[in-house]
Amino acid sequence: MSRSGNSDSATCTRRTAAAAIGGAALAISGGRLAGTFASVPGTVDTRPLAHFAAKAKHLICLHMIGAPSQLDLFDDKPELVRRHGQPCPESVTRNRDFAFIGKTSVLAGSPWKFRRHGESGQVLSELLPELATVADELAVIRSVHTNEINHAPAQMFLHSGFGRSGRPTLGAWLSWGLGSDNPNLPAWVVLLSGPPGGAGTSLWSAGFLPGIHQGTQFRAEGDPVLFLSNPPGYQPEDRQRQLEALLSLNSIRAQQTLDPAAAVRSSQYDLALRLQSSVPELLALNEESQDTLRQYGATAGQPSFAANCLLARRMVERGVRTIELFDADWDHHSSLQTALPRKCREVDRPIAALIRDLRLRGLLQDTLLVWMSEFGRTPLQQGGTAATAGRDHHKDAFTMWLAGAGVRPGMSLGATDDFGMDIAERPVHVHDVQATVLQLLGLNHEHLTYRYQGRDFRLTDVHGQVLQEILL
Amino acid sequence: MNAVLLACLLLTLPVQSSDSPPLPGQPSVSFTRDVYPILSRNCLQCHGPQQQNGDFRIDSRDSLLHPDILRPRSPQASELLRRITLPSTDEQHMPPIGNPLTQPQQQLIRQWIDAGAAIPDPFIPPPHWAWSPPVRPELPPQITDSPIDAFIRQTLDSHQLQPAPQADPAVLVRRLYLALIGLPPTPAEVAAFAAEPSETRYQQLVDELLQRPQFGERWARHWLDLARYADSHGFQRDDLRDSWAWRDWVIQALNRDLPFDQFTIEQLAGDLLPNATEAQRVATGFHRCSPTNVEAGSLPEETRAEQLIDRVNTTATIWLGATLECAQCHDHKYDPFSLQDYYQLLACFNNTALEADRANPAQPSSIRFIGPEMPLSDPRHDEQRAALNSRLAELQQKLKRQRSSSSANEKSAADQPRTDSAPVVLKAESIRSLAAADTWNTLPDGSILVSGDAPPADDLVTVTVRQPLQNIIALRLEALPHDSLPGKGPGRGDKKRPNFVLHEFTATLTEGDADPLPLRFTSATADFSQQNWDVAGAVDGQPKTGWAIAPRFAAPHHATFRLASPLTLTENSILTIRLDQHFGSGRSLGRFRLSALFSDSDPETEQLQQQLQQVQDSLAALAPATTLVMVEQQPRPAFIFQRGDYRQPGAAVQPGIPALFRGSQPATQPQNRLELARWLVSPANPLAARAAVNRWWAELFGTGLVATPEDLGSRCEPPSHPELLDWLAVELIENGWSMKHVLRRIVLSRTFRQSADSTRQQQLDDQNRLLARGPSFRMDAEMIRDNLLAASGLLDLKQFGPPIRPPQPAGFWNKVGGQQYDYQVSPGTEKYRRSIYIVLKRSAIHPSLSTFDGPARFACTVQRSRTSTALQALALLNEPVSVDAATALAGRMLSSPGADTDSRRLTHGFQLCTARTPEPAELQVLLQLLKQQREALRQRSPADAHDTIEQAAWHAVAGVLLNLHETITRP
Repeated sequence: MSRSGNSDSATCTRRTAAAAIGGAALAISGGRLAGTFASVPGTVDTRPLAHFAAKAKHLICLHMIGAPSQLDLFDDKPELVRRHGQPCPESVTRNRDFAFIGKTSVLAGSPWKFRRHGESGQVLSELLPELATVADELAVIRSVHTNEINHAPAQMFLHSGFGRSGRPTLGAWLSWGLGSDNPNLPAWVVLLSGPPGGAGTSLWSAGFLPGIHQGTQFRAEGDPVLFLSNPPGYQPEDRQRQLEALLSLNSIRAQQTLDPAAAVRSSQYDLALRLQSSVPELLALNEESQDTLRQYGATAGQPSFAANCLLARRMVERGVRTIELFDADWDHHSSLQTALPRKCREVDRPIAALIRDLRLRGLLQDTLLVWMSEFGRTPLQQGGTAATAGRDHHKDAFTMWLAGAGVRPGMSLGATDDFGMDIAERPVHVHDVQATVLQLLGLNHEHLTYRYQGRDFRLTDVHGQVLQEILL
Repeated sequence: MNAVLLACLLLTLPVQSSDSPPLPGQPSVSFTRDVYPILSRNCLQCHGPQQQNGDFRIDSRDSLLHPDILRPRSPQASELLRRITLPSTDEQHMPPIGNPLTQPQQQLIRQWIDAGAAIPDPFIPPPHWAWSPPVRPELPPQITDSPIDAFIRQTLDSHQLQPAPQADPAVLVRRLYLALIGLPPTPAEVAAFAAEPSETRYQQLVDELLQRPQFGERWARHWLDLARYADSHGFQRDDLRDSWAWRDWVIQALNRDLPFDQFTIEQLAGDLLPNATEAQRVATGFHRCSPTNVEAGSLPEETRAEQLIDRVNTTATIWLGATLECAQCHDHKYDPFSLQDYYQLLACFNNTALEADRANPAQPSSIRFIGPEMPLSDPRHDEQRAALNSRLAELQQKLKRQRSSSSANEKSAADQPRTDSAPVVLKAESIRSLAAADTWNTLPDGSILVSGDAPPADDLVTVTVRQPLQNIIALRLEALPHDSLPGKGPGRGDKKRPNFVLHEFTATLTEGDADPLPLRFTSATADFSQQNWDVAGAVDGQPKTGWAIAPRFAAPHHATFRLASPLTLTENSILTIRLDQHFGSGRSLGRFRLSALFSDSDPETEQLQQQLQQVQDSLAALAPATTLVMVEQQPRPAFIFQRGDYRQPGAAVQPGIPALFRGSQPATQPQNRLELARWLVSPANPLAARAAVNRWWAELFGTGLVATPEDLGSRCEPPSHPELLDWLAVELIENGWSMKHVLRRIVLSRTFRQSADSTRQQQLDDQNRLLARGPSFRMDAEMIRDNLLAASGLLDLKQFGPPIRPPQPAGFWNKVGGQQYDYQVSPGTEKYRRSIYIVLKRSAIHPSLSTFDGPARFACTVQRSRTSTALQALALLNEPVSVDAATALAGRMLSSPGADTDSRRLTHGFQLCTARTPEPAELQVLLQLLKQQREALRQRSPADAHDTIEQAAWHAVAGVLLNLHETITRP
């Protein structure tokens, strides 16, 4: 599937004019527009399409900003533990870049114990006891590598397949390619616990795709969606009366101009007012049972990663296509021993609860989860003493996992060498993960292209191989 | 241009719906003119000179006429046609990726095969139109007022279309104002023109608007997108930087109609011009707009390479209309640009100063932005500065005298420690901390400023000093505020309580290889200590006590730690000072300074020192603003980056222009930026003028004559009016590269003045590429906000200077990395200044801009998208600026002189927003809303709230007027 870059942003097809002027709501409720927020005049012909039957209808990305240590969570390295504190052989560090540390840094084994879990025997560290209870659902890839070694470029690479800003991000590609299943909510929602990553709002940018495909951030502070609340003194009925007047005036004028954009504009005001009720309804965690809240470790009215996980489930239920949860503060250059367990306590339980909850409600079969970070961390120690030491950025070998729709549960893919420094088996590039995610959502990564500046751009640039082994 | 070509041209434009009736006059099809351009745009990449998949190439007659490909007169048996008409989901469909050929294109190829598939023998692929110099074409025979209209009319005639009548005077005058100055006319200005909508008056109006100071502000928006101008670095450490003087230079240059060739040369290489003026150097801020990665741990050389690449790509997009970036890793796939071409251009930019570097090469976290920046002349304050400087000299003199007299008195007492010198700031040789990703910058006053991500819970800062000093009797620690710290500091925690807790202050002395010797302090005093957090706690060895300063935040403090015995540092001694801060929540010092004291200062000296400090502070406050400029250094050798990777240098390259344009003058290659800039606007470059006039056309009509203004290469959309494009390009060059001249010609054309209203006849051309009616499209973000402010009367027309900060949601600038700025809304009417002045922080663009497709300015943006979204509706209803504008517009309607009835008031408001008078039906809707609102408000308000009810009812009406589709549409 390919679409032209120019026809759907600036211009309107006159064919839609008559229909659109007749009834603004029709243009939306017909379900032919590429998503709720995708009412760009002229998109009527770009019907949501998939290249093949999708395994997943929804995608939840869990991005741990800063990059957790795979060596303390997923990748058990007994040899590294045995040689803890010893200098690293020069052969291991040769031709390798680090962001902060020198090549003379010592090896650092994990102080935490690893164990096999579930029928699959998935290996996880003791820092993730809750995730261990759903270990059989995970497909863990321990051999991921990326191109970038600094946070902002690596985050951009993970989201847009390119290490600088300007290209569309994964959720934008999906919104553009597949549209939304719920006309009252955005096709792509972003939730944050803590500040956003170093690349800022670029991580949910539409790049050169029409701006409607950019992710909508639901904010924990102030209005959940920017400018959702009316100014003081306004009641919903006031807005309703204004809306009616506005739509009448736009329609009167359009009879003269035959401008199809007027009807699209009107329909967006209609939608805006609907958002004013659908968003608060979505966010009303007090509707959830005490038991559910306890499972997640969430408290209604209190922003947290746990609350965001629960919101993610509510969004899946309501047909949001892509949901990304960003969790801050995983950049453990120092004090790994205290900081990592604290962070794990914040996310371990909610993630496990989310997987269980989706499974219980029959939603896991339609929902793909990806746990990810921009890169991993070094097997070399950064900083002095055991209490204060951390690990540096590591782009050559780290871990991600997938779960849910279309993913072979309980499997492991790839392996690293004895030090966890390099990949020993089945290298998986970030572009491969992206290709696989698109495939599971029904899109061929080589055919999902958008022409910009004369070139047909892809999320996976000119690379990417679908990871057939992890597909059901 | 003949009718056949026109018809074909139209066929290849995305003008027609597939179910539209066929166009009149079926032409005969020419391979070279009609078929080859389609094949070239869609197939050349895999079936051309570089690659011949399936041994097939579309630029070879033999290859095309192979029976496996084509069967002349037998379209059904021709594989080529079968492949391009398969459903795009079919494995065999061509092209395999990218857009399928349109129905009209397929039809054209079918016709050509049907007619015998004639291909000239020999076939030589025609050169791409944009790579030959523009030549002024002959004017078409159509009788019109302007050549522009003649070209447009010729095409319309060939499609049997009539131009639309002139727009209603009110709509026309609004269009003209918005097009030229980006602001709407006042009702009085509309009325004046409507009263006499003559040709003369229109021309006068055009000339007058072109002279308004607001012209430059409107047109700078477009240039700033191209230049990727922003007020911050981008990336993780997205700190603010000062480049606004360049933005002001652009506005002024546009206002004085600096010829586009000169405009080009000064921005690319103003610094290299002989006797470059200050303004010409400011102009070079253009290429300093490149984003700069100063993330801790980033590599300076990588950042430099990325900036070079950004400069090459931006230059190529603007002046060559080329997608040159494709040639960064390999030869361009479909345009004739090689890897060599790319790096020859890059070599022209390769010699400027580094912009990000490590303060300490051994310390990756010490990366920082290093400029280069240029102070701006500031004659208004020169006198003040001179006075302060002489006062400074005077005080320094006095202080010197004071010290020498006191030392003279004490010299008699031989055993006394030396007290003849003022405190000496200790220079940190190295700084270490537990926060590995923090950055430490030493400011000019010797203080140390910490910036970085969330401060660590436990922080132990270790400063080492190697500085020979004799007889130190005490160490002083100053805790200092700074604008970059939350709540100005001195702590790093939060803006409400920027406290710090210094739990322990310890120091050791290391002589040569000996073990470090702890230094003992006998007392600690401070200018202020928080209750229960006395400074004595910082030297008592107890980890739970310490020095803090609540509630006296945002002010300087100091503590003096008296040594048990005088300390002398030699060349071989290392003084190590540790600041132990483990309170957590960022209660650690954000800016501090360490000094050595040699005497207990007497009151007189203390007073002099205070005065000195005040004068120094005043001088610092008066420091001239700076701006980023290009500074040329010694030429660096340049290489091809293999696979685009700067770490893999290949063959060496010399500066040069792409081979495609070298043509017959091989000897003269530009050696530097200046020569490159001169070449770009010379007759040897066929693209600069075409690309420029095409972009201006797009600004005025919503779409360029070439609908892909970012790409005029072989795969661009074919121009709708190729002759007109060339005519305008030549018109620009031959009229001294005057932008205003070209704009004037365009807005004076009948084409521009047509009504935008559509008719059934014109629906054939649904994208209005033939221009049988006037333009109409959604305003860009800046224009929407400016229009809102102007219509409501809030707009402050103050020009130039540092960026403004309109209200934005709390926490909008929060993110990991970089300084956490306290966003202070601009005071008074500053926040209502034009949108071109809004601060642009790349990682968090102001929602007024980003909601309406304003780009983040990470790279050159030629064309913004124009979306229509629910979030835009919410912003126009509820964003503070929208609410303020509705309040102000309601006030304007209620207080407008002569408006004594609701109808008249509403009419006035309607005119302010749309320039025209409402139709009776429209007025009826507004009256109805007003009535309903009054009623509803009355029912829920106290009896005596008449005024409040009126205001609220009118606010609701004003909100509707400001949200009309027409209000935010450029007519």
